[in-house]
Amino acid sequence: MSNRQTIEDNYEELFPIDLSKNTCPNREQRANGTNVYYGKASKLLDDAKNNKILCQERKFQQSGGCVLNFYLAVRVATIRDAVTIFNAPVGCSSSALGYRELFRGVPVELGRPAQYNLNWLTTNLQSDDVIYGAADKLKNTILKAEERYSPKAIFILTSCTTGIIGEDIEGTVSEIQDKINARIVPIHCEGVRSRLVQTGYDAFWHGVLKYLVKEPKEKQEDLVNVASMLSYTWQDRLEIERLLSKLGLRVNFIPEFATVEQLEKLSEAALTAPICPTYTDYLSRGLKKEYDVPFFLYPPPTGISNTDEWLRQVAKYTGKEDEVEKLINEEHKRWVPQINNIKEELKKLRVDNKKIQVLGSLGQGRLVSQLPYYDELGLESPAAMSQDFDDLLMDELEEVIDKIGDFNIMVNTFQAAEQANIIQNLDPDLTFTCPFQGGNWERDNNVTRIHSLRGDADPWSAQSGYAGAVAFGNFIVQAFKNKSYQKILSEKTEKSYKDWWYQQPDPLYYLERGE
Amino acid sequence: MKKIKEIAIYGKGGIGKSTTTSNISAALSDAGYTVMQVGCDPKSDSTNTLTGGKSIPTVLESLRKRRGNLKVEDVIIEGFNEIYCVEAGGPEPGVGCAGRGIITAIEFLKQENIYEKYSPDVVLYDVLGDVVCGGFAMPIREGVANQVYTVSSADFMAIYAANNLFKGIKKYSNGGGALFSGLIANSVTFPAQKDILEDFILQTKSTIAGFIPRSLTVTQAELWGKTTIEANPDSNQAEVYRKLAKSIYNNKEEYIPSPLESDELKNWAESWSDKLLELRKQEEGDFKI
Repeated sequence: MSNRQTIEDNYEELFPIDLSKNTCPNREQRANGTNVYYGKASKLLDDAKNNKILCQERKFQQSGGCVLNFYLAVRVATIRDAVTIFNAPVGCSSSALGYRELFRGVPVELGRPAQYNLNWLTTNLQSDDVIYGAADKLKNTILKAEERYSPKAIFILTSCTTGIIGEDIEGTVSEIQDKINARIVPIHCEGVRSRLVQTGYDAFWHGVLKYLVKEPKEKQEDLVNVASMLSYTWQDRLEIERLLSKLGLRVNFIPEFATVEQLEKLSEAALTAPICPTYTDYLSRGLKKEYDVPFFLYPPPTGISNTDEWLRQVAKYTGKEDEVEKLINEEHKRWVPQINNIKEELKKLRVDNKKIQVLGSLGQGRLVSQLPYYDELGLESPAAMSQDFDDLLMDELEEVIDKIGDFNIMVNTFQAAEQANIIQNLDPDLTFTCPFQGGNWERDNNVTRIHSLRGDADPWSAQSGYAGAVAFGNFIVQAFKNKSYQKILSEKTEKSYKDWWYQQPDPLYYLERGE
Repeated sequence: MKKIKEIAIYGKGGIGKSTTTSNISAALSDAGYTVMQVGCDPKSDSTNTLTGGKSIPTVLESLRKRRGNLKVEDVIIEGFNEIYCVEAGGPEPGVGCAGRGIITAIEFLKQENIYEKYSPDVVLYDVLGDVVCGGFAMPIREGVANQVYTVSSADFMAIYAANNLFKGIKKYSNGGGALFSGLIANSVTFPAQKDILEDFILQTKSTIAGFIPRSLTVTQAELWGKTTIEANPDSNQAEVYRKLAKSIYNNKEEYIPSPLESDELKNWAESWSDKLLELRKQEEGDFKI
């Protein structure tokens, strides 16, 4: 029996989702998560199977995101008809600044709402609030949100400050809920509660499941829930919509730019399908447990064969088995020749017929979705970075290793120095890196590219489905052909670290090994 | 500038800390010294017996109302015999963060240069509890008090609090924090209570600054909203406080005590358990009388 089946069978016992509680367990508790590792993927998998993954400390650590700020601060405020309240000192909301402007880059024609504001407020906690507690301030902010925006839901994002002084958020909410129309959704994303930013995803879904999702009025057999993180792009939404509409299915994209009603009706869908398994995990399991909405977590629709499989899984739960084979055939006719061209182009770039080496810097979800895609393109991945790792994706990792062979995994959240060391030492032909991971600097003989920008609406940046497979493939080819980005980087930037660091054989030099 | 004696007095809640501190303040003031007493407890009742039982405006509450406009005169109130009384204040029970409150209040007093303005000879900080967090450690950290006392009875929980205080002192001693100057043994009536406390200070390489017997005179004075020094200046108990105050003023002893680790403390307490039970019976008998 595979690990996945073992986990699925005992899931209730292993990781109970208990909506009577105020929040979810953190990822460390729920799934033995870590954000420190470098070594063979097979070893990490063994450790995960044997419950031996350690969440260790670093003696030196670079800045990163937090449970509140990595994800929630940016995305919850996009929910339509809703207001987000940061119950925090004013600085905790700073990463939400600028996103209104950024998302305005998505043209209205592509589906971004024209009437478009991100409604968020902060309680601006100060010294007095810390000393005396801030229940009244939160209450007044909720009333202000109701008065100004008449929203359908008010999300309260908690912070380190409210966590440390033990603010009774639920007490305040129960006092005021009856006096306003909006449904209040407290989300426990205190930064200090977990070092794994995924805990923020789970805390958010817990709040959505507990306070917003309603008993289904009627099951909508053609509705598929898809949690669409916008670190995948706007184009990916369009591609998924295109494919599912050909099967006669509708997509319920959540949470970004969803309405509150869409969240309320999550229970009516025929299925919850993943784009990023680690992101969707808690929601999928919660909807299954509470409303018997089926789900699958793997594979995400990245690359041709995984998109085939993703569609087949969707079809299985929606009774579209016949239609899906027809669709896959049609789509292959259109896209596979283009992928073959890309493979040919990439083959031409080989020196001594050695496969081109690509190093991806990814979240856990991309780790298990993109490596098979690189393999499909005839590329090799000597290593992959993942922001964190937990045992929710053990089986998927095993599948990937079986398919493409062993590789190194670096697990870290925004530790640019560790990443720089590995890139320098492995010297891949191409590195994908996230702007937040600090991977852009002078490189002499290979290419550094950013994998995507949140909400990017350009077809060039797509990653999902067939169109995404081709767009991403072209993007890779282009990265080798046009080196101007690399040239400018080399000219304009200096190395970020001293030589000893690049020469250091152990990227986890600063790990506290408890010796 | 003259040398100011700054003393922090810690101890478990209800152990007689404020009573003792106020009587020391009153005795020193009576002896001609300029005294300031700063209550560091959200209950804000440290100085009540110096102000005729009345509450005074607290630093935190006033800061909250007045913000930048707060003048230090508004929160330094003259009590019995012109003793300067200050209450830090703090949140209602169960909300907010009292520790952060202590930090804020003490920072305000330091910024306002109250020592220059009021020129006290002695400043006494009366601090709640057993140093549960950084805020309550504020008075023993660098630049505030220079001598620390703890009020303790022979009750195990009071000793536990004293031991925690020793841990706090040890921690901050490297950074120029306050040093320990002695344990004030309160409510000591029976010889066994004295034995227990003397054994504790032996184990922790500390000293006893004085013994205060249990006394109805103190309770009576408190009910009138006064210190024993004010209400019953000729009583034996007043004399006990005067002696204690004098010895504290002259005490030059300052050292780092050796707190017991929690297992050691547990074992030590166990070694006294029979005696403690015996004592409990005696005390109950005492109350019946």
